[in-house]
Amino acid sequence: MSMYDVCVIGSGPGGYVAAIRSAQLGLKTAIIEREDLGGVCLNVGCIPSKAMITAAHFLHRMQHDGPTMGITASKIDFDMKQLKTWKQSVCDKMSGGVNQLLKGNSVDIIMGEAQWKSKTEIIVKTKDGSKSVAAKNFIVATGSRPIEIPGFQADEKDVVTSTGALDFEEVPKKMVVIGGGYIGLEIGSYMQGLGSEVHVLEAADGLLKGMADPDCVQVVARKLKKKGVQVHLGAFAKSWKKSGKQLEVTAEIKGKKEAIAADKILLTVGRKPNSDEMDFKKVGVQVDEKGFVKINAQCRTSIPNIYAIGDVAGQPMLAHKASHEGVLAAEVIAGKNRVYDAKTVPAVIFVDPEIASAGWTEEECKANGYADLKVGKFPFGANGRAVSMMETDGFVKIIANASNNVVLGVHIVGPEASNLISEAALAIEMGATLEDLALTIHPHPTLGETMMEAAEATLGHAIHIIQKPLRKPANGASANA
Amino acid sequence: MSLKDVNLPDIGEGVTEGELVQWLVKIGDTVEADQPVAEVMTDKATVEVPTPFAGTVKEFKASEGDVIPIETAMLVLDTRGAGASATPAAAPKAEAPTPAPAASAPQAAAAPQQAATASASADYYPPVADSKVLATPGTRRLAREMKVDINELSGTGLAGRVTREDVMGAFSGGTGAVSAGTPTMSLPPRMAYQGPAGAAEERVSMRGIRKKIAENMQMAKRIVPHFTLMEEANVTQLYKMRGEAKAYGEKHGVKVTYLPFVIKAMIATLREYPMFNASIDDEAQEVVYKKYFNIGFAADTPQGLLVPVIKNADQKTILELSAEITDLATRAREGKLKLDEMKGATITVTNIGSVGGTYATPIINHPEVAILGMYKIEDKPVMMNGKFRAQKVMNYTITADHRLIDGAVAANFMRAFVNRIQSPSNLMLDMM
Repeated sequence: MSMYDVCVIGSGPGGYVAAIRSAQLGLKTAIIEREDLGGVCLNVGCIPSKAMITAAHFLHRMQHDGPTMGITASKIDFDMKQLKTWKQSVCDKMSGGVNQLLKGNSVDIIMGEAQWKSKTEIIVKTKDGSKSVAAKNFIVATGSRPIEIPGFQADEKDVVTSTGALDFEEVPKKMVVIGGGYIGLEIGSYMQGLGSEVHVLEAADGLLKGMADPDCVQVVARKLKKKGVQVHLGAFAKSWKKSGKQLEVTAEIKGKKEAIAADKILLTVGRKPNSDEMDFKKVGVQVDEKGFVKINAQCRTSIPNIYAIGDVAGQPMLAHKASHEGVLAAEVIAGKNRVYDAKTVPAVIFVDPEIASAGWTEEECKANGYADLKVGKFPFGANGRAVSMMETDGFVKIIANASNNVVLGVHIVGPEASNLISEAALAIEMGATLEDLALTIHPHPTLGETMMEAAEATLGHAIHIIQKPLRKPANGASANA
Repeated sequence: MSLKDVNLPDIGEGVTEGELVQWLVKIGDTVEADQPVAEVMTDKATVEVPTPFAGTVKEFKASEGDVIPIETAMLVLDTRGAGASATPAAAPKAEAPTPAPAASAPQAAAAPQQAATASASADYYPPVADSKVLATPGTRRLAREMKVDINELSGTGLAGRVTREDVMGAFSGGTGAVSAGTPTMSLPPRMAYQGPAGAAEERVSMRGIRKKIAENMQMAKRIVPHFTLMEEANVTQLYKMRGEAKAYGEKHGVKVTYLPFVIKAMIATLREYPMFNASIDDEAQEVVYKKYFNIGFAADTPQGLLVPVIKNADQKTILELSAEITDLATRAREGKLKLDEMKGATITVTNIGSVGGTYATPIINHPEVAILGMYKIEDKPVMMNGKFRAQKVMNYTITADHRLIDGAVAANFMRAFVNRIQSPSNLMLDMM
């Protein structure tokens, strides 16, 4: 039995990245995957949901924006089966790419489910028996899975999680989404766009609680309402029943019992770490009360040769955080001095319009000891490119430390927010000031100009919006002249 | 089960902690009372720490390389059934010890009985940059690789940004960012070494005395601006005198070398030039002149360089000095010096001549301000009264801290010293 330098357990965006970097550093590397290469992200998460969102957005534009631009189609057909086929081809392409990358880097891929035998050995249950894999170091990247709530057990037929929802054969006429977090709203929004009547049941008093800047959420909530998505706040789903093909969800909404008819029930109340299936106790790896594997700033667990990254190792459960940690863990194993010291993990929510953020909200700034803040906003309605795209909802908001103008947080709601936020993340990592953003020439006409203008607005003098109070005119010239 | 902790005992005055160099026992070994169980290094001495009671080794509370505070548990013994009949375990020095499983784990520090033997910071240095530190990701990585704690710097960049130059400045101890905390010296860089793939290389961890020597030498070189002055002395008379003394000493069972004569000549010269028997208190910006003469001498041992100290050497005879030198050097080689016997030198003599080399440029044993080097005796032609005559010639160097001692002063010191060495009978005049 050969000894690997590194064995990665799980091939999601954390695991496969860790494996590739390990191999790049000359370490003999194996990766274990029990389902599909690429994990949740590539197969039943980020990528397929974005394919569906793109389709729904496209359909919406053909139906609603086309005529204004003089484009009318006599009949717009939509075939869910074809959409599913295309979506699957996207996933297959990505998963195949991961396979190629791993092989190209000489990483041994072992398909099966891993179980600890000792600190340096795991047993992998493969389809034709079991196999022992010994390694000097392990990187646990087993990810997370959807949580269920009492009374709602996902069967992926009537009650589905995100996994089942991304695989619908046809568009359900009525869908009840339990949980108004980002996954529920992303899927709920596109399903509504594809023709479903969507009800969202959210227990809290607002959508996307704790996940996004409240001002940004407001824009999205307005748009959901405009599109006809029924949002119920303070709503607790209690039970469901099936009569014939018809489902019915009973919920307590603001203290009142209500019944909502549905064809599908989508359960998106959160995710929990996959730390309970590998018997970490056996090797002494410590797990916290929420089920996250405890790690230090080097992604090292309580057992020095076992590392953990991504969803299983703590919040935020985001693919790009997992990838960053994957690189980090691999480099630490290779003997490099590395720690996790990123200032921000940008977050993106693909609702309509998109929400993206980097750094802190105003509340978080205050909690971190920055009491004196400068906050400025610039609306997409004043941006030429946004207007010409017919996507004018939303704004860019920048929060800076008032004493030195260092950018502390950027929150975007609007078109391509997901693609705009990286500039903000860079600004925060670099310790950029409002001046740095404002003085960087942004090309015209682009959505990116909003970042420059928002920085100017925060400094009190954006060009394309009227900011009051106006400054005193210089040299005695009249302000009215 | 009767479990008892074996604590790291108080192993010397002023010693608060020791580094575990290696275990001398394994888990499961049976040990007798007073049997050494671990090699622990403090300051400069490596001592063997005995267990005060007998038992079976159940658990190690620390790993090799860990720093253990005194009166803290090192290992756990099961004392049940231990007694006179217990077989003493052979101490397998070369055998790899079994580290305590949780000792290097970050969470281990949380366990109350774990004491401070393990912590997250043991895994990596410097600590993670605080979220308030303004520095680019690249600069943060540079600081990490140079072992500069970025949290300790206040940046010179816009809005207090720590720049690359600030990190480089802190690293070289130069200008740039000033330390925000106590004015401690930034650590020198710990550059990784990666040999060519597959090269025939062996890695041995820097531990114990080797590690301490490295730290001391690096510190001395960073703090002290060294310079070395070299001189040749005609030691024909000394050679003769020592030859007679040697024969005399042998009768008394004492080996008389050149070192005690050099020490005597040096002490006489130190009285004339007290700044060579001094230290600089950097914090107080004061020079401390010492009215006592404790002479360190470099001893080559299998573990590395050690510097035993002869206390109050000015009050001892040549014969007494000789006996003490032999005793200290022997015990240094055996690793049996007490910590106190290696502390408190006011100046050091290094006798490389006994091995070879004409001249060397020694490193000062900080906080001393000078080190005297003596080299091998050779027969050389010396011009005397118009004729070449074969003479015994010995080279000397004085290496001094230029902050306190200027070149001309060192030259005068050397001349005075060489005069004494060349005319040992004059040395008698200085004797007390």
